[in-house]
Amino acid sequence: MGKLPCALLFFLLFTNPAFSWKKEEFRNCDQTPFCKRARSRQPGACPLTATDVSISGGDLVAKLVAKETNQETPTKPLVLKISAYQDGVMRLKIDEDPDLNPRKKRFEVPDVIVPEFSDKKLWLQSLKEEEEENSGLISVVYLSDGYEGVIRHDPFEVFVRERGENGKKVLSLNSNGLFDFEQIKDKKDENEDWEEKFRTHTDSRPYGPQSISFDVSFYGADFVYGIPEHATSLALKPTSGSGVEASEPYRLFNLDVFEYIHDSPFGLYGSIPFMISHGKSRGSSGFFWLNAAEMQIDVFNGNNSNEFLKLPSDQKRIDTLWMSEAGVVDAFFFVGPAPKDVVRQYTSVTGPTALPQLFSIAYHQCRWNYRDEEDVYNVDSKFDEHDIPYDVLWLDIEHTDGKKYFTWDKMLFPNPEEMQNKLAAKGRRMVTIVDPHIKRDDSYFIHEEASKKGYYVKDKTGNDFDGWCWPGSSSYLDMVDPKIRSWWGEKFSCKNYVGSTPSLYIWNDMNEPSVFNGPEVTMPRDALHYGDVEHRELHNAYGYYFHMATAEGLAKRGKGQDRPFVLSRAFFPGSQRYGAVWTGDNTAEWEHLRVSVPMILTLGLTGMSFSGADVGGFFGNPDTELLIRWYQLGAFYPFFRGHAHHDTKRREPWLFGERNTELMREAIHVRYMLLPYFYTLFREANSSGTPVARPLWMEFPSDEKTFSNDEAFMVGNSLLVQGIYTQGAKHAEVYLPGDQPWYDFKNGNSYKGGETYKLDVLEDSVPSFIRGGTIYLERTDFDVALLKWQMILTLWL
Amino acid sequence: MKFFGLLDLLLFGCFILLIHGITESAASSPLKDPLLGVSPEDENYFKGFSTSSMIKCKDGSKKFNKSQLNDDFCDCSDGSDEPGTSACPNGKFYCKNAGHSPLILYSSRVNDGICDCCDGSDEYDGKTKCLNTCWEAGKTARDKLKKKIATYVEGVTLRRQEIEKAKLAIAKEEGELSKLKDEEKILKPLVEKLKERKEQIEKVEEEERLRIEKEENKKKEAEEAEKKETKAEDIEHAHDDIQDNIGTVDQPPQDENIGEDTESLSREELGRRIASRWTGEKTDQHEEVDASSPDKDHQNTDELSNETNYDEEDNAYTSEEDEHKFDDDDDDDSKDQVDDFGTDDHYNPTPSQKLDSDDESDFSDISGTSGSSWLEKIQKTVKTMLDAVKLFQTPVNISDAAHVRKEYDESSAKLSKIQSRISSLTKKLNQDLGPEKEFYSFYGQCFETKQNKYVYKVCPFKQATQVEGYSTTRLGSWEKFEDSYRVMQFLNGDKCWNGPDRSMKVKLRCGLKNELTDVDEPSRCEYMALLATPALCVDSRLKELQDKLDSLNKQLPQLHDEL
Repeated sequence: MGKLPCALLFFLLFTNPAFSWKKEEFRNCDQTPFCKRARSRQPGACPLTATDVSISGGDLVAKLVAKETNQETPTKPLVLKISAYQDGVMRLKIDEDPDLNPRKKRFEVPDVIVPEFSDKKLWLQSLKEEEEENSGLISVVYLSDGYEGVIRHDPFEVFVRERGENGKKVLSLNSNGLFDFEQIKDKKDENEDWEEKFRTHTDSRPYGPQSISFDVSFYGADFVYGIPEHATSLALKPTSGSGVEASEPYRLFNLDVFEYIHDSPFGLYGSIPFMISHGKSRGSSGFFWLNAAEMQIDVFNGNNSNEFLKLPSDQKRIDTLWMSEAGVVDAFFFVGPAPKDVVRQYTSVTGPTALPQLFSIAYHQCRWNYRDEEDVYNVDSKFDEHDIPYDVLWLDIEHTDGKKYFTWDKMLFPNPEEMQNKLAAKGRRMVTIVDPHIKRDDSYFIHEEASKKGYYVKDKTGNDFDGWCWPGSSSYLDMVDPKIRSWWGEKFSCKNYVGSTPSLYIWNDMNEPSVFNGPEVTMPRDALHYGDVEHRELHNAYGYYFHMATAEGLAKRGKGQDRPFVLSRAFFPGSQRYGAVWTGDNTAEWEHLRVSVPMILTLGLTGMSFSGADVGGFFGNPDTELLIRWYQLGAFYPFFRGHAHHDTKRREPWLFGERNTELMREAIHVRYMLLPYFYTLFREANSSGTPVARPLWMEFPSDEKTFSNDEAFMVGNSLLVQGIYTQGAKHAEVYLPGDQPWYDFKNGNSYKGGETYKLDVLEDSVPSFIRGGTIYLERTDFDVALLKWQMILTLWL
Repeated sequence: MKFFGLLDLLLFGCFILLIHGITESAASSPLKDPLLGVSPEDENYFKGFSTSSMIKCKDGSKKFNKSQLNDDFCDCSDGSDEPGTSACPNGKFYCKNAGHSPLILYSSRVNDGICDCCDGSDEYDGKTKCLNTCWEAGKTARDKLKKKIATYVEGVTLRRQEIEKAKLAIAKEEGELSKLKDEEKILKPLVEKLKERKEQIEKVEEEERLRIEKEENKKKEAEEAEKKETKAEDIEHAHDDIQDNIGTVDQPPQDENIGEDTESLSREELGRRIASRWTGEKTDQHEEVDASSPDKDHQNTDELSNETNYDEEDNAYTSEEDEHKFDDDDDDDSKDQVDDFGTDDHYNPTPSQKLDSDDESDFSDISGTSGSSWLEKIQKTVKTMLDAVKLFQTPVNISDAAHVRKEYDESSAKLSKIQSRISSLTKKLNQDLGPEKEFYSFYGQCFETKQNKYVYKVCPFKQATQVEGYSTTRLGSWEKFEDSYRVMQFLNGDKCWNGPDRSMKVKLRCGLKNELTDVDEPSRCEYMALLATPALCVDSRLKELQDKLDSLNKQLPQLHDEL
């Protein structure tokens, strides 16, 4: 009878658990009660009116109360506050009234808004009331010389409009009456079930429904952009409305998605609830909702579809619906009007990109995994042998002792300091991975300390949350607590991190957080954080705090003299202050090469200038042509790193024959030649928020042909790059905007602006052009980024 | 390349301002030696300046004058005007390295703060001090080279001996083969005749038996009839039962759902399952089975691995079946040797054990010098026997019949032995054993090395495996020599989860004994190893090395002059 279990065993051994994205493992809107409820609401359903509108403490304050006609379910009034900040930023806060002793204080995300922002506050002195024919009573406050903030009383609506007679609306909230604010109830109604089940997981939801949703309208907009992270086009396709194929809303929920697909509104590793609009008639505006709970956003078809209110405006506009599971309304309206203005206004709230060190904007070589010291030395010397510059060599999870971060596998890396020092002698750095899941192993010093000190996130019963990740059974540090962040930061000192040297920098992966056996591969929403905050309220910011703690640790290690470099996979508004991000586990396919561009451009628009995609594609084996095209395009990514999954074949640039080595060397050389230019652009991003890699329309805001182009992009204001996204391409269509001449980056041929050219595609480069009339820098000799600064400065006047 | 494109723009008439070498003034200081970085082969090229004020770039694209030579500004797109600076991205810098070997560097290494040349000539801007280490480095290199030459000298001899041995052995085997073929030719018809006779006898015997049986049956027929009917029914029932059982065995319960149904998994299993997507490791669910019934499962695992082994042999090594049969046949005659053979093939860690010698000794009874005499004897015996035994004699003479049977059994056994030996010899002699048969001794040998928890075993012309405890993973079956007999390739090993079939490349290099080292897995499931062997110690390479040493030694007196 030994045969039967034997057959069973056989079966188990050869059943592959998965091959690709498992859609059914993730919730869609219909399976997410708050999203389903919000999506089914009818325009005009919001019963709230603004009362007691006044100026107090330099802000406009008001109460939102339900109309008397709607007496069946009396709701408590909400408090509303509108504040104005320099440079055309209006902030709107709506929360439950703290004076009415709500059962729970709703979570407001701390440490995202930079402290300097409060200095920019304008002390509102007065409001004027106007009676308008169509819209009834409105209260108006000053916002900037060209704009004012307005609240309409009944029905309640908040908007920004241009000053002057018939001032046109720029941005508005609740114009379609979809605003809904589920106040936290003291106890369950009869027959009400607060638990939510998804697959095998049950969310206890001890506070019941507490979601918020509202509509936001962008006037004069042809397209809206932003709200990363989705693998989709730059200009956001409508997800709802007449003539639009039924689609999920854009989801913002940080998730570790195995083998994500390239054209989907599905939420990936990071979330930035900041949307920017652009149109030919007016320019750009932006809307940012500071909220770290799960969010879903619908973009409606721009043709003012009939299911919406006919707004008293002849302006073209795009309506959007924003839905969040928890938190408060803390929203920012940015008036623009130029695209760069909006980004500057946004980064005045969340901070600009940290100025990276030069080495970190050079080429990075990574693989899961460079196995041992010999492997490291070998790869390092091959770069020299083939005259290919690189600055940083990376070590993935296998370098650790049993996935315990801050430790080394003694067999594979017996002398890590010597290894780093040998590379450092050539001006090179190393990066090791440090993830937020801590192995529950009593002999592991981090675990021992963290569990003793109570530094872990708790499950709903108050015990340390225990989930499964690389090391097996793991707990997760509660980085929301500043004290824990500071403790964590100390671990990066060279003394505490045994085997580290000052030339070692850090990579934070899996910080969504990824929990292999959790709901949707993440942490249960009823897990508890510092200050009794539920995980659902801050989920999207978890990775941000981890990134912050690590970067601050490195800053401390360098005593403020060595700017940190930390790469993170998860992100949130403000992550740009702590380091770089990348687009996660992409795939070695042409379509993934293509989608990397809109993904990186979107990140740049939303403040994350320092971003890139894994060159070559993480999963799978790229064919040689794809790999070369990826290097040629990746050389223009703000963050430029080759990386690969451990099941893939080795793909270091010299493994594909002499000619292909030459092509990849040339691509990387281009990056090194451009380093002074890139560094200058990063300084610009650091001071003004303007991204390094820019959509064409950011540089050519009145050229409609650029608005939905996401195959070409600008590096700074001087260089236009067009990727090649198909196998064996012979020709490429390139649109060169504007009316100034362009010069081929390769051979100097000149082209007139404002035309589309069908160009022969060369094997040795992707089409790239220098814009006439701009300043641009390059250098000609390079080995590693820092060694020399001898350069040639070329000015076009 | 790009850079020159920009210069072209200048000529196209754009107004371009060039600011050169802004940050470091040292960079533009003239070189003490205008011919720094010039290789001896290029010295003639630069002598062009003695006859004219301008010379052409090597690619003919432009001209430059003497003051443009090594002025740290790139004039020639091929770098010919800047042999001693880093100004041209594709330039090359030559360092003399007196006392050691000259070196040609990429121009990007010049004045980059790192001492690349042992004479330090690549770092002359004063920012980095480089010691001249050529004497030490050269001495080390020469010593290393000398050692290598010594190895080669000895290795070349060993190799020649191997080749001689191989030639003799092959000649011997070829001789044996042709002799065996002759024997087969004679023995085969004899065996056939015996078989025929044996069958005739058996036929007569069978007829006799049937006749007797028939008589007996008649007596019982009446009473038996009824019983038979009931029995038949029983048999049918029994048959049904068996089928039912088979049905159960064939269908593991709920197999459809186990793979994907994560709903029923424990939290821990779920975690492992999700992790395995990235890692490609098997989920540990079978460990769960382990834990619940350790004894049973252990047994199962054994069975499973046995089965796998069996499959492997069936699928991949059918060609060797003959050999295996041969072993089995030998069982009676020489048990000891068979045991030895088994050990050699599968477990013996000493790599140089020869399998063929065992084969040969097994064969001593038929392929020895007395070979022809035993054949003659058989021929004679058979003839007498065939003549003696009378047909159609009823009943058959029992002792005659036994005699025929015995004789048939013996000679057909001999025939099949000869046939399998022929087939194994043919197979061996048809292998690509190298241009000079220098890999003859590899045949039937395995080389092993232990690395961490694994034992790697490379059996040329057969397979490569990785052994961990009792589990064996096939890294590949013999494919061929590659790269002019410098690499052995094994392909189509066990499949990797989510990846390719395993494969292995064994790089060969000259060494005094066969030694496997440095097994590596540079890409997942693609293995590499080094095998040192005298077979690679080739004369021509030895000569190259000696020439190299000579040229190094020639430089030495110059070095003393300079010192």
